[in-house]
Amino acid sequence: MLENGVLLSVKDLHTWYELRKFGFIRAGYVRALDGVSFDLRYGEALTIVGESGSGKTTLLKTILGLVPPTKGTLEFAGRRVDAKNLDWLRRQVGYVQQDPYGALPPFMNVRRILLEPMIINKVGRPEEREARIREVLEEVRLVPVEDFLPKFPHMLSGGQQQRLVIARALVLRPKLIVADEPVSMLDASVRVEILDLLRRVQRAHNLGVIYITHDLSTVRYFSERVFIMYAAKVVEKADVREIVRNPLHPYARALLAAIPDPDYENALRFKDVPPGEPPSLVNPPPGCRFHPRCTQMIPGVCDREVPPEFEPAPGHFVSCWLYK
Amino acid sequence: MADRALTNLGPVTETPSSSETLLKVKDLRLYFRTTKGVVQAVDNVSFSLGRRRSLAILGESGCGKTSLARAILRLLPRNVHTFSGEIVLDGVDLMKMNDEWFRREIRWRKISFVPQAAMNALNPVLRVGYQIAEPLIVHLGVSREEAYKRAEEVARVVGLPVDFLNRYAFELSGGMRQRAIIAMALITNPPLIILDEPTSALDVLTQANIMNSLKDIKRKFDVTYILITHDIATSSELADEVLVMYAGHVVEHSPAERFYKTPMHPYAQKLMASVPTLREDKQLEFIPGQPPSLINPPKGCRFAPRCPKRFERCAEEPPLFALDGGGVAKCWLMAR
Repeated sequence: MLENGVLLSVKDLHTWYELRKFGFIRAGYVRALDGVSFDLRYGEALTIVGESGSGKTTLLKTILGLVPPTKGTLEFAGRRVDAKNLDWLRRQVGYVQQDPYGALPPFMNVRRILLEPMIINKVGRPEEREARIREVLEEVRLVPVEDFLPKFPHMLSGGQQQRLVIARALVLRPKLIVADEPVSMLDASVRVEILDLLRRVQRAHNLGVIYITHDLSTVRYFSERVFIMYAAKVVEKADVREIVRNPLHPYARALLAAIPDPDYENALRFKDVPPGEPPSLVNPPPGCRFHPRCTQMIPGVCDREVPPEFEPAPGHFVSCWLYK
Repeated sequence: MADRALTNLGPVTETPSSSETLLKVKDLRLYFRTTKGVVQAVDNVSFSLGRRRSLAILGESGCGKTSLARAILRLLPRNVHTFSGEIVLDGVDLMKMNDEWFRREIRWRKISFVPQAAMNALNPVLRVGYQIAEPLIVHLGVSREEAYKRAEEVARVVGLPVDFLNRYAFELSGGMRQRAIIAMALITNPPLIILDEPTSALDVLTQANIMNSLKDIKRKFDVTYILITHDIATSSELADEVLVMYAGHVVEHSPAERFYKTPMHPYAQKLMASVPTLREDKQLEFIPGQPPSLINPPKGCRFAPRCPKRFERCAEEPPLFALDGGGVAKCWLMAR
């Protein structure tokens, strides 16, 4: 397999959740994901930034095969993913959840938690499994290993729990890690440690990583490529430094302007925030989904036609009519 | 009483001198009894806060910041072991009041509280407008009609559309529910509002919107905020002063102007160094190790085991040293 080939290819992915009235009458769809396409190479880290309800978690769930896509295709390592090969897919994708305590079974100790994926997937002989557990624990620095093996999740601190979740995601030697807000539940001083760890693991094993977050300020410490999602669509794709320096989409600009850096002067001025809230995904507005809140809306264009992807600078893609 | 509460709402024209103290906390201790021993959640905390200032209380989870807020409000669980010290609000020692008197005269009238994730605690079967008006009806004996009128006023202040008052909580988005909660805290026009992580569950843009409203309220009305948060960047949106807690102790209390640029206590410095910033490139640090257990915490400085600057003296507990340019820090390095 080519080392710099495409690991995951997502084409025009739509995931709609059906709404029902009285339990059986179809009452429309929530368009949680509406036409997302991208390629992820082996060993590449990608960050997806978006607010709650922008579809970022649905994207993850679709990639993991937890919800079937309504339209569009998913290819992993050159093979089309469908209902039949989900087991094969999930063996190669590790999932790092948002809330480590909620993601760890409270009645299993560390050893058992790490053993479980290998039992389920029938990987290795008992002594190989034992060796693998030690190996991953050392990798995520839960050392000395002997001390941690018999512990239960509640005996670990938040940072240690998240390390354990990462260890569990790694135990089957996946090719891709998907991390859904892995640090949002942790204290500031631990966040950096966990992001560092993820980054190190990614480089050491040439893993593809999809990191989902709503916190743009942690992104630059993690990956180069960033996608910004708004109302079920990707509105801007670029290098992280480029986005911070020169955000193009009006939504991306607003998002960046809203993020404070610790500075006393913040208290002295008001922030320029677009009014309103993200639209309903049951009846999304026609045209660009940001147009009802956008200050640079072009009447007759933005409220009628869906903007395609433009490339105003090399490698910087934006879906906005301003850059036609 | 009711009349005074209502007329007080108008914009404050004269600025009271910043030296006027609204809240003074001295040697406050709050210990909890557990099966494993006594947890010293708030240990010997002293600070004072001027009228119309806003104070951000920063610290990691488990450092005692929420316990401190609950101690000020006397919202205590049953397993309290020790609750002692002095809390003086507007010249009145709250610790001398009995519970019933405190409930009637202080809660809502003098201090209102926005607890963590309060927006998820709205009553699902009552209209939002009624819930906002309720403290006025219950605590100040205002008539329903008048209370509703006042609810409309505060809704406007916090940016909640007035027709939302007839809706139920589930019909409102997270940001709007949070606004409703803030409206509720404002309606009795208390001099002190304690906000516990008011924006932590919200999206970036909504968070910025709510911070704008809180700033606006502070400019227009006679309010003092205590903002409890672990999000340092967001705290800078509102803070005039910053109080950093570590393992139940206050380790630094500084004016915001200096704190965000040059924190003085080693823990505060480490904490600031771990905050990712969007605009500048910096090497992020993390603090190795973990905070000590609050059951039998170590003698001496509680941060010493993780502190890069520790020396022999740290085996002894440091007092709060006054800093140049105002503020205090609990660290031997500040001794002169």
